[in-house]
Amino acid sequence: MSVPGLVLSHGGVVEEEDLCVIKVNYLRGHFKIYQPLLDGHKEYCEDLPNASETVFVMEYLHESLGEAAVDFRIIRDVTGKGRFARWEDVAEVPDLDSATVFYREPVIDPDLLTVVHDFKEEGDFIGIVTANVDGDETIYRAVFPFEVGFTGFGYWPFFIVLLIAIQVQYLMMSGKFKRWRQGGNLVALLAVMPLFFAGKAVADSQTAWQSNRGVYTVTVTSSLEPIVINQIHSWTVHITSNGEPVSNAVLAIAGGMPAHDHGMPTRPRVTEELGAGNYKLGGMRFHMQGDWEISIEIEANGKTDTVVVMLSL
Amino acid sequence: MSLSVRQILVAVVAAAIAASPNTGCAEALSWSDTEIAILRSLAIDNLPPLPADPTNSVADDPRAAEFGQQLFFDARLSATGSVSCSTCHQAERHFTDGLDKGQGIGQSKRNTPSIVGVAYSPWLYWDGRRDSLWSQALSPLEDPVEHGGNRQQYAHFIETTAEYLEQYETLFGAWPDLSDPASVDLVFANLGKAIAAYERLLMPGRSRFDDYVDAVVANDAAAKQELFNPDEEHGLQLFIGEANCTQCHNGPLFTNNEFHNTGVLSYPGEVPDRGRIAGVREVLSTQFNCRSEFNDAQFKECAELEFARSGYEVMGAFRTPSLRNLAGTAPFMHKGQLKSLADVLQHYNDAPDAMIGHNEAKALNLDDRELQQIEAFLNTLTAPLSTDSKWLVAPVVPAIQAAEE
Repeated sequence: MSVPGLVLSHGGVVEEEDLCVIKVNYLRGHFKIYQPLLDGHKEYCEDLPNASETVFVMEYLHESLGEAAVDFRIIRDVTGKGRFARWEDVAEVPDLDSATVFYREPVIDPDLLTVVHDFKEEGDFIGIVTANVDGDETIYRAVFPFEVGFTGFGYWPFFIVLLIAIQVQYLMMSGKFKRWRQGGNLVALLAVMPLFFAGKAVADSQTAWQSNRGVYTVTVTSSLEPIVINQIHSWTVHITSNGEPVSNAVLAIAGGMPAHDHGMPTRPRVTEELGAGNYKLGGMRFHMQGDWEISIEIEANGKTDTVVVMLSL
Repeated sequence: MSLSVRQILVAVVAAAIAASPNTGCAEALSWSDTEIAILRSLAIDNLPPLPADPTNSVADDPRAAEFGQQLFFDARLSATGSVSCSTCHQAERHFTDGLDKGQGIGQSKRNTPSIVGVAYSPWLYWDGRRDSLWSQALSPLEDPVEHGGNRQQYAHFIETTAEYLEQYETLFGAWPDLSDPASVDLVFANLGKAIAAYERLLMPGRSRFDDYVDAVVANDAAAKQELFNPDEEHGLQLFIGEANCTQCHNGPLFTNNEFHNTGVLSYPGEVPDRGRIAGVREVLSTQFNCRSEFNDAQFKECAELEFARSGYEVMGAFRTPSLRNLAGTAPFMHKGQLKSLADVLQHYNDAPDAMIGHNEAKALNLDDRELQQIEAFLNTLTAPLSTDSKWLVAPVVPAIQAAEE
């Protein structure tokens, strides 16, 4: 049993950059609480205004949580510690079950934890999230005291409450990344693309597209002519470098509509290298009329460059 | 005295109301070339012929459609003898049921979607957990809260119902030996294919909107004015413009058949529905998907499955429904959370953060009047189906009558 240093919070839930984060040991989740019947989409981080039907959402920011058996328990605060309650206090409760108002059995869920509980009365409660990461050996917990029928300041000053609420039985670090931020690269890419392309062009087999740093030249031919929305089809991408066809290239495709900040409805990829610098790109589909940008990152002979094909539908 | 003042007031207000449409539409709206192109893309004349379904060898066989129609309306295809496909997909309600969630043997987990024009979609269900019309048709038959039966029961039922057995054998060949479980699966799949052949006939009809587009293309100001009032015209203009509706509701069926998270609130008593992220996992592993041995295509081309988007980006995403005939299909959204079109439009106007995943829609900041105009336009999409009316009622089959007596 050891203590992982000071955490700026009064429990396993903290606010980071406007994001409510629950820390189950080093495993983090985006934590949101709703009282949909009374407050619709209004999002709470921990204290709740009413004894009402409440939805707890924990979106996993760490892949390991998606592999762990995660359970969720809410008890009445019988520790007498109120906002200062931590796992040691909970562990001393002689009959945890009789204090429990809600319990969700451990479930391995790849994406998130969601539970719904109808609070029948106001009062002080303690939420306990347990993640069993590796069989029975590794158990991580987040313990977060909260109040239902909270009438105090909406901006409760967390920073005055320095508490350690996370129980550690196992310390390990891992370089897993935030899954939920995947796709951010695409959005960033789409945002800068228009800078490189003034004027509007349309993809056709006559147009030669230069890669951003001039390494590659690309022409594309569609199996669907003309291209219409909502039909899956393939493209043939012809790649040259200094006029010579490029073989053994690795292509990464990302596409979207910059005006609408969204990507493609499918995940296209190269299904076949056809020879003579030609690559078959399967799974092309556009689900909206308007301006599309298809970014093709080309890696061949140690040189990587990206070409952006513009398409107006 | 006070009464007469009131009468005068009423008369003045009435006169003002009567006058306002005329002043409003003194000049019909003029559409830009870009807008006209969008309008044409939405018109029913732009709907291509229904593509063949190579996964279903009887997809366009009229005998299969007749057999499928009988099955569709036959409540004997259920554990209780009380639930048919038409229990929830009611023809008179545009093949929906007016409920938040479907009610079969029990309550199903989602709102009953219309099946009109659905044959065009590569994905079925709100979450796209099936990838063909015929495999979709099978799923409710074995769902414990919908039809609640099982394939053995249904195969046995066909075997012992002479006129069904006859139709089956005409379409699919000699009746197999049911002691082999593979034969039961085959019979079950074939029942789905017959139902799909029927459902492929359910197509939307020409609406006032489609006539209006013709008038726009012909630049016929009088016809335009006759077909659409100024509210409907402005609603349409907002629909294809400022309100961003055609981001998803595009093409002649007003749907891209794709999956989008629009931040709809969870249903009372339930956790938020994950939608597509679970649906795509299911369709990739389900027994009767495109890759299965029950796919009749000589060469199985399963591009949609192969290139399907998955993962967190489709968390909480649901398939865009068609907007044709939506006026009679409230409540809306995947669990019927929004009770009226006005609620739906208000929801999109606000575009609240999603409870799970990310709401793709952005707040519109339209005023109440503009939202009402969009609603007025949406109501112009109501029209009788183009499908022959004989397909919209339970077929007269002696066997069904006999069973009911």
